[in-house]
Amino acid sequence: MSRPVSRASIIGSIVKKDLTEYSRDRLWMFLTLLVLVFMIIVFWVLPDRVDESIPVGISGLGDPAVLVGLESTEEEGLRLVAFDSAGDLRSVVAGDADAWQTNGGVVVIPDNSDAEKPEGAEKANVDIGLAFPADFLTATASGNETTVEIFVDAQVPDELKSSMSSLVRELAFAVAGSPLPVDTANPQEVYTVLGEDRAGNQVTPRESFRPLLVFLVLLMEMFGMSSLIAREVQSKTVTALLVTPATTGDVLAAKGIAGAVLGLGQAVILLAAINVLGSEPLLILTLMLLGAVMVSGAAMVAGSLGRDFLSNLFYGMMFMVPLMIPAFTVLFPGTATGWIQALPSYPLVQGLVKVATYGDGWAEALPDVGALLAWCVALFVLGWVVLKRKVETL
Amino acid sequence: MTDAAIKVENITFSYGDLEAVGGISFEVAPGEILGFLGPNGAGKSTTIKILTGQLTPKSGSAQVLGVDVTKDDPEMQAQIGVCFEEKNLYDSMSGQENLKFHASLFGIKDVDTDELLRRVGLADRAKDRVAKYSKGMKQRLMMARTLVNTPKVLFLDEPTDGLDPVSSQSIRKLIQQEADRGAAILLTTHDMNEADELSNRVAFINEGKLYAVDTSENLKLKHGKRSIRVRTRDGAGVTEQIVSLEESGAGEALRAAVGSPNLMTIHTEEATLEAIFIQMTGRGLEG
Repeated sequence: MSRPVSRASIIGSIVKKDLTEYSRDRLWMFLTLLVLVFMIIVFWVLPDRVDESIPVGISGLGDPAVLVGLESTEEEGLRLVAFDSAGDLRSVVAGDADAWQTNGGVVVIPDNSDAEKPEGAEKANVDIGLAFPADFLTATASGNETTVEIFVDAQVPDELKSSMSSLVRELAFAVAGSPLPVDTANPQEVYTVLGEDRAGNQVTPRESFRPLLVFLVLLMEMFGMSSLIAREVQSKTVTALLVTPATTGDVLAAKGIAGAVLGLGQAVILLAAINVLGSEPLLILTLMLLGAVMVSGAAMVAGSLGRDFLSNLFYGMMFMVPLMIPAFTVLFPGTATGWIQALPSYPLVQGLVKVATYGDGWAEALPDVGALLAWCVALFVLGWVVLKRKVETL
Repeated sequence: MTDAAIKVENITFSYGDLEAVGGISFEVAPGEILGFLGPNGAGKSTTIKILTGQLTPKSGSAQVLGVDVTKDDPEMQAQIGVCFEEKNLYDSMSGQENLKFHASLFGIKDVDTDELLRRVGLADRAKDRVAKYSKGMKQRLMMARTLVNTPKVLFLDEPTDGLDPVSSQSIRKLIQQEADRGAAILLTTHDMNEADELSNRVAFINEGKLYAVDTSENLKLKHGKRSIRVRTRDGAGVTEQIVSLEESGAGEALRAAVGSPNLMTIHTEEATLEAIFIQMTGRGLEG
């Protein structure tokens, strides 16, 4: 006669069995490791700095004094690259030639040339060029009409084009020794940066990709778990569980715990490898735990609905695609519209961005933690209903 | 019958509009094997699903060990064993691991898997993954899993279906041992010989209805002929004689036949269970 068995003991047994099965599935183990290693490599390959200056090519200014005057514009984020001729400048901006910055100046190599890049030279990506005429200084100084050609790549925003026009006019007034028609000190402009001023400290591509990478690892776990659940349903081993003292609730709880352990484990490895756990580790781990539970709930639904590997993959994709959208909005700020914010993965991504990128704490991330918790409950209840109905039809 | 381990009263169940079980009643006592005999789709597996709590009956009542089966009582479930028709084992785990895991669901930590595997002839394959087992080996492991908690009630759904004669015989031996131990056994099968060999009583089920619940002997007596067929050599030919046991003088006729040097064979004329099933339901057991 067997002794009464506790719910915790039953759940623990099923979790142990699930983890054993997962560890023996060579395909999922391989994919899990592959994705983990791939994500870590992708992260460290991504650029970790943002070049905030805009390279502007100039030609035709012989007087170094004028150049010195122009270079003061670097404070405004412009980096000047001096070309020998307007023709060279035009071909570089047009994309017909490459400009290489050497100690002796810029070397322009047309695309159709066999010439090799100068040793130790750095490529100058010039999308805007100002071609000053040879008589620019004398003409403006004497008040005569002259024309400055501005070359812009088709993709340069309009605001930048108009600022180039202003720059030329400002320079002309400076050369002519005339005051500007408008006193730039009156009215005064006072900038108030709302939130953290990221000038000089922009979010790098590496930082932007963090939530996406973490989320992709969680999604891999979702596929792995849904495969495990689908196998349990399709092979009808779940019915063998449910004629013992184990209940549907025990099976679901065990799946959730196994999924959370797998997802959280992988996420922690990734977070440690991409150097995120340093700031607010407890908050980040809480977010990741809830995220892992949330995708486990989704895995239950997908795994219960599928009849075979392909349909399981189909239902997994049905969850994966919408869940990934919020992670992509981090790469394109300002694109998270209302319906995207309503997706279950949004609070997870938002919370991660706040903590990992902007250094926020519990107070700022609490609404996201709450929303994520609510989604975990909702997806688990849905998974419960779907799995129970499925088991009843076996 | 008192102290029935399984007690079913007028239960019904339907899959949509299709009535799978239509008001059946029966009981199984401890130590008794009730053979549930019927063709595929007769309602045998649905009845087991109801009795093991996988399905809820639409009406009627069913008790196992005195507990209403709709109550989902863990204590009752701790005392039953179910052998499914499907081989629902964990293929990536070994036979031993399957048994240990199943035992852990009953809170049994010191299960003697070696003894269980020895009983089903799998002791030498204990550590092999189930994926490498043959169909017969999987079925024997299923039986071992069913016995892991030494259950008081066994539900065996087609336990020998599709097995070779040797595997079938070893499983039948095991079933008899469990009945001898005192377990109440509900055995579904469409194998007439299995039901005849193992069951204390048989129940005929077809299209969700019970047609008879009785011992094999009683059914044969009720529905078969009480006569004996005697064949004797007659020169180059064979003479056949039917001796009715209902008539006077049957004893003398039999004594004469047995004493004859030309006697070839003597056979009773009792009906087979299959013949009785067809006679009662109008349908064969296969199909």
